[in-house]
Amino acid sequence: MRYPLRVTAGLLIAALLCLWGAFQSYAFESEYQRQNPDPFQISAAFRRLDPVRGAVPDRAVMGYLTDLEPGSGMETAMFLTAQYVLAPRLLERNLEHAWVLGNFTRPADFAALGKSKSLRLERDFGAGVVLFRREK
Amino acid sequence: MGGLIWIITAVLTGCLSIYCWTDLRAVNPKWARLLLIAGAGAAAGIGLTSCIFFLTGPLLKIPAAAPVLELAILASAGYRSFRLRSQPPEPSPQARSHLSLLLIAGLVVIVGVGIAAFSTAWDLNPQGNWDAWAIWNLRARFLVSGSDLAARAWSPALGASTHAEYPLLLSSFVARCWYLSQSSSSAVPAATAFVFFLSLIAVVTGGVTVLRGPALGLLAGLALAATPSLLREVPAQYADVPLACYMAAALILVLIDRPLLAGIFAAFAAWTKDEGVLFLVVFLAAIAIVRRNALRTAVAGALPVLLLNAGFKLFLARGNSSLLSASLPGAVHRIFDPSRFATVLSAFGREFVHMSIGWYHPILPLIVLAVALGPDWNKHRREIFLCAAVFLGLLLGDFGVYLVTSNDLAWQLQTSLNRILLQLWPLLVLVVLLCLRTTVEFAAAPSPAAPRARKATKKKR
Repeated sequence: MRYPLRVTAGLLIAALLCLWGAFQSYAFESEYQRQNPDPFQISAAFRRLDPVRGAVPDRAVMGYLTDLEPGSGMETAMFLTAQYVLAPRLLERNLEHAWVLGNFTRPADFAALGKSKSLRLERDFGAGVVLFRREK
Repeated sequence: MGGLIWIITAVLTGCLSIYCWTDLRAVNPKWARLLLIAGAGAAAGIGLTSCIFFLTGPLLKIPAAAPVLELAILASAGYRSFRLRSQPPEPSPQARSHLSLLLIAGLVVIVGVGIAAFSTAWDLNPQGNWDAWAIWNLRARFLVSGSDLAARAWSPALGASTHAEYPLLLSSFVARCWYLSQSSSSAVPAATAFVFFLSLIAVVTGGVTVLRGPALGLLAGLALAATPSLLREVPAQYADVPLACYMAAALILVLIDRPLLAGIFAAFAAWTKDEGVLFLVVFLAAIAIVRRNALRTAVAGALPVLLLNAGFKLFLARGNSSLLSASLPGAVHRIFDPSRFATVLSAFGREFVHMSIGWYHPILPLIVLAVALGPDWNKHRREIFLCAAVFLGLLLGDFGVYLVTSNDLAWQLQTSLNRILLQLWPLLVLVVLLCLRTTVEFAAAPSPAAPRARKATKKKR
C-alpha cells in the first residue's frame, strides 16, 4: 500500500518523535535513579529493624517512640518505613502497648528516656533501634 | 524467582481464559488479536487471581484453596484452548506494509528502551516509591500473613496516610504471589507493574489496530510507550498504571463490541483504586447513553467484582473515612470558592505541560498525526462520543474532587495530579486517534498493471 507523501511523512515523524521521547525519558530516569538510590532508605531499614522481627511476635501491636518532631516529613517516613518492615506487627504512635519500638536518629540514654515514660529497656539493637517493654 | 513464576501462571490463566471463553479470537488482523488477547488476558489474569486469593485467604481463611481453584481454571482453559486450536478464525484480509514493519520495529525499540530505564530503577530502588511501600505493598504484607492478621490491611489503626480504605486488587495479587512462593521478594511488585505496562501497550495497540487500522494502532502504542510520566511511574509500583490499563481496556473492549468483558475490566478498575469507581460510574452512564443495548451485559460483567468491592467498602473497611466522606463538611463552600477553582485549573494546565521531558511532550506525535491525517468525526460519531464522554466525565470528576477535598489543596495537587493525568492519558490518546482519518482512506494500492506498463514502455524505447 502507498500513502501520499504528507501521510507517510506524518506517520514517520510521529514515530520518530516517540523514539526521541523514549530515549529522552530513558536518559533522564536513569540519571535520576542513579542520583537518588533508595531515597527513603528502605533497604537500610530492613537491616536496622530485622532483629526486632525476631524479638517481637507477629501478632504484636507495638507502641512507637522517636526523637523526631511528630508529623514532620522525616518522622512520617521513618514511621511508615518501620511499619512496612515490621508488618504484620502493627505500629501505633503511642506508648500504651506492651511492646514499644524506639526508632531514634541520635544517640541518647535510651534507658533513662524509657524510664521517664514508664518503659523498661528490653534490648538496644544499635543504629538507634531500641525495644522497650511497658512496666506494669 | 518463585514469585515471578506465579505471576506467569496468572498471566497464562488470563490469556487462555480470554482466548477460549470470549470471542476475541475472532478479531482481525491476527497480530492485533494476539496483542488484545495477551494484553487483556494478562490484566484479567492478575485481576481474577487477585480476587480468588482475597476471597479464599483473608475472607474465608482457606488460602490453600486459591492455587487449587486457579489450577482448575488454568487446566480447564488450557484444555478448551487445545480443543479450539483446530478451528482457526478467518484469515486477515489486510496487507502488511513496509511502514507497518517500521512502526513495529519502532515499538519494539521503545519497549526495549523502557525496559532499560526500568532495570536501572529496579536495581537502585527495588522497593518502589512512597505509596508502593507505604500503601500497596505494606497491605500485601498484612494480607499474606494469614489468619486474622490479614484484617490489619484494612484496619483504621494503620492511620490516614496508609489509606486502609483503598481497594485491594494490587495488594491481593502481590500477597498471592508472596504466599504461593513463600517469600516476600521485591521482584514481585516490580514485575507486576511491568506486566501492567506491557498489557496497557498491547491492549491499546491491538484495540486501535482493530478500530482504525495497523498504522494508527502501532502509533497509539508508540505514543503511549514513549510517555515520560508512564515510564516514570512503572518502577514506582503504584496502582495508577494498573488502573490506566483496566480503564483503557474496558473502553476498547466496549468499542469493539465486547460489553461483558468491558464490564469486567471496568469493575477491576474500581477494585484497583477509588478513581476506578468514578470510572465505572461514568463508563456505565456513557454506555447507557450511546450503546443502551450493551448496558445490561456490561453491568452483568461488572457485577461480581463490583459486589466484592462493595462488600469490602461497606463491611470490612467501613471504619476508615474516605477522601470524599471526610470532605463533605464544608464542601459546598469550597466548591463555590473561585480561588480554589483557579488554583485547580492552573494546576491541571501546569501538570499537563509538565508531562514533557526536555523538548518532548507526548502530545507532539498526536498533533503531527492530526495535521497529517486530518479529522473525520462523522463516520464513527458514536464511538468518539463514548470515548470523549468517558474522558471528559473523568476529567470533570477528578476536577470536582480537588475542589471539594478538605486536605491541603496545594499538597493534594502536588502529590497526586500527575498520576491522575497519567490515568487519563491513554483515554485521551484513544479519543484523538478515533477522531482522525485512517491511513487506509489514503492508501493507493500499487496497480498490478503498473510494472507491466513500465516494461512495455522500455521495449518501445
